[in-house]
Amino acid sequence: MSTGEGSLGTSLHGVTGKEEVFAFSVDRTSCTTDHTTKFALPVDSEHRATVFKPFSFAKPHMRTFHLAWISFFTCFISTFAAAPLVPVIRDNLNLTESDIGNAGVASVSGSILSRLVMGAVCDLIGARYGTAFLIMLSAPTVFCMSFVSDASGYIAVRFMIGFCLATFVSCQYWTTIMFNGKIIGLVNGCAGGWGDMGGGVTQLLMPLVYHIIKLAGATPFTAWRIAFFIPGCLHVVMGILVLTLGQDLPDGNLSALQKQGNVAKDKFSKVFWYAVKNYRTWVFFVLYGFSMGVELTINNVITGYFYDRFNLKLHTAGVIAASFGMANFFARPFGGYASDLAAKKFGMRGRLWTLWILQTLGGAFCIWLGRSSSLAIAILSMMLFSIGTQAACGATFGIVPFVSRRSLGILSGLTGAGGNFGSGLNQIIFFSGSRFSTATGLSLMGVMAVICTLPVALIHFPQWGSMFLPASKNPEKCSEEYYYTSEWTEEEKQRGLHEGSLKFARNSVSERGKRAVSTVTSPPATPVLENV
Amino acid sequence: MEPTRLLLVSTFLTFLVSSCYGSVLFSSLKSTLIVNASPKPGQVLEAGVDKITVTWGLNQSIPAGVDSTYKTIKVKLCYAPVSQVDRAWRKTVDDLHKDKTCQFNIVARPYNSANKTLQSFEWIVERDVPTATYFIRAYAYDSEGLEVTFGQTTDAKKANNLFVINAITGRHLSLDIASICFSAFSVLALFGFFFIEKRKAKGNQGK
Repeated sequence: MSTGEGSLGTSLHGVTGKEEVFAFSVDRTSCTTDHTTKFALPVDSEHRATVFKPFSFAKPHMRTFHLAWISFFTCFISTFAAAPLVPVIRDNLNLTESDIGNAGVASVSGSILSRLVMGAVCDLIGARYGTAFLIMLSAPTVFCMSFVSDASGYIAVRFMIGFCLATFVSCQYWTTIMFNGKIIGLVNGCAGGWGDMGGGVTQLLMPLVYHIIKLAGATPFTAWRIAFFIPGCLHVVMGILVLTLGQDLPDGNLSALQKQGNVAKDKFSKVFWYAVKNYRTWVFFVLYGFSMGVELTINNVITGYFYDRFNLKLHTAGVIAASFGMANFFARPFGGYASDLAAKKFGMRGRLWTLWILQTLGGAFCIWLGRSSSLAIAILSMMLFSIGTQAACGATFGIVPFVSRRSLGILSGLTGAGGNFGSGLNQIIFFSGSRFSTATGLSLMGVMAVICTLPVALIHFPQWGSMFLPASKNPEKCSEEYYYTSEWTEEEKQRGLHEGSLKFARNSVSERGKRAVSTVTSPPATPVLENV
Repeated sequence: MEPTRLLLVSTFLTFLVSSCYGSVLFSSLKSTLIVNASPKPGQVLEAGVDKITVTWGLNQSIPAGVDSTYKTIKVKLCYAPVSQVDRAWRKTVDDLHKDKTCQFNIVARPYNSANKTLQSFEWIVERDVPTATYFIRAYAYDSEGLEVTFGQTTDAKKANNLFVINAITGRHLSLDIASICFSAFSVLALFGFFFIEKRKAKGNQGK
């Protein structure tokens, strides 16, 4: 329905402040395709795509998807670019094992803060500028490797490069804005997984680049420095592509839409408060620390583990390490897809159980990896462990978009920060100093992952229930609208600022599982008045 | 599963192949070679610039015939214990197959028992040698490539007659300049785009 059709009340749009101020009304049925718009893919009422076509580059949805995941992929490459070159770097800079361990912790710590900030940035200025600013301002930190001459410089530069891992937040945020909730698990899983794959690709790419540069005549201690120009240039290229080809929302860029009045500007303090107040945010902070946190830790320690424990050549150990990271290509999307599949049948409860099962299995196989004393069993357990943990990461972001609509950016940021925090914590407890051998450290980390996955049972949505409890029987609280509009005050609702959340609430009815099919709705003849 | 299976099989075979070579224990070797090097105790050398002259030969007080199995002599640059602290990749292990003490080859020469004179070689310290404290050791290998004896410039505890090598930094002025230029381009391109877009938006609003 468009404004030109003369339906009742359209001439009074915006006058009383209670009507919706957008050019099109919202359908009550879950996820109806909007046929009035000219997008390449079918879209819902929020103009989010309802179909995922990975081989397409159509504007704006699929193009956004590819820009988002490749930017994130580039940042993963540069954050872990030093890891496969450590055997050369440690000789050049006279590093000790403590220095190398500290650099590993530093590389994941920087983004704890930047992921938090990134969430707020996306909420306020949009994902496009957020990504571009981060990726282009962190390019100098990558180029800085050419100046490093001792351990403290090395640790400092790895810390600064690590800030760019906040592109994870902008990537997930951007795809969540562009794709409908029914497929969001798969889309976020693909974007996140293919980005995470950078941690594996870098284990192959950087040694290759280093060897080519050496063949061209450079001495080793110079060649590794030149090699860092490759990830640095990738940063610049991706930043320019994001700026020229990207857009914040399906309908256009954020600042343009805000000026037209189509998207309300929000206050940072409010957005932050609603994220922090929601207990589920903190449960995910812990959960993600033991899926992504474990994965980041492994990226830093696995090559050394296989090299030392099984006396492999460094090159062979690097290939094994790369396969851990590369499993992300299908493992994380698989987790997102499994989450979506479970939601179709069992709704949100299905998503929660999927997450718990995958993450617990990941932890269990990690315990097995630490206890494997034969190479073949170690590789087998590592592959199963990688699938479990990475699929759990995908399943996490099948649920996160439903925890909050108003504060999605900060929520994604806090969850992502939890991942890095968990990684730093794991590295400090289990992989620093000589208290535990690496094998014991791996098993203990697996035990801790299994224990820290239990809080999934605490995630309860009044409208959908939890792992063990059903939805609330309270007739007021058991609707999606109630949950999402409770993030707005009465005064804000009167000003119509909550319209985006309303639309989202209606599109999220699919999370009831099979119950959603039986929901009977009919479009009202008069303009919709909410929460009068 | 096919790539994983291929990886498993090939890794297993590599493991088998490497374990086919017998392992010699360092503690089982007796020192029968005399090795001398030009650096004085505590001298600091610069990588890529300074030279080390190594001389080696059989200890003449050894009874004849002991050197009948020696086929090749390899002279290597080895880390002193102080440079192995907190660095497991330089660890001394008795199994010479896994030992990482001596990682740099200076020279390899075939052994001629008839030649009683000391062999010597002048080596320019290569530019990939890290900053550390070193000594020099020579191994004699038999026809199967296994170590049969050794000689070194320092004592059994590896405590005296050590010297230091300073590595090159690996940094170059041209690299630093390129780095600054690329970084500046990144920052300027970003802010350039940002301000151009802002001005365009203001222009559109004015219309």
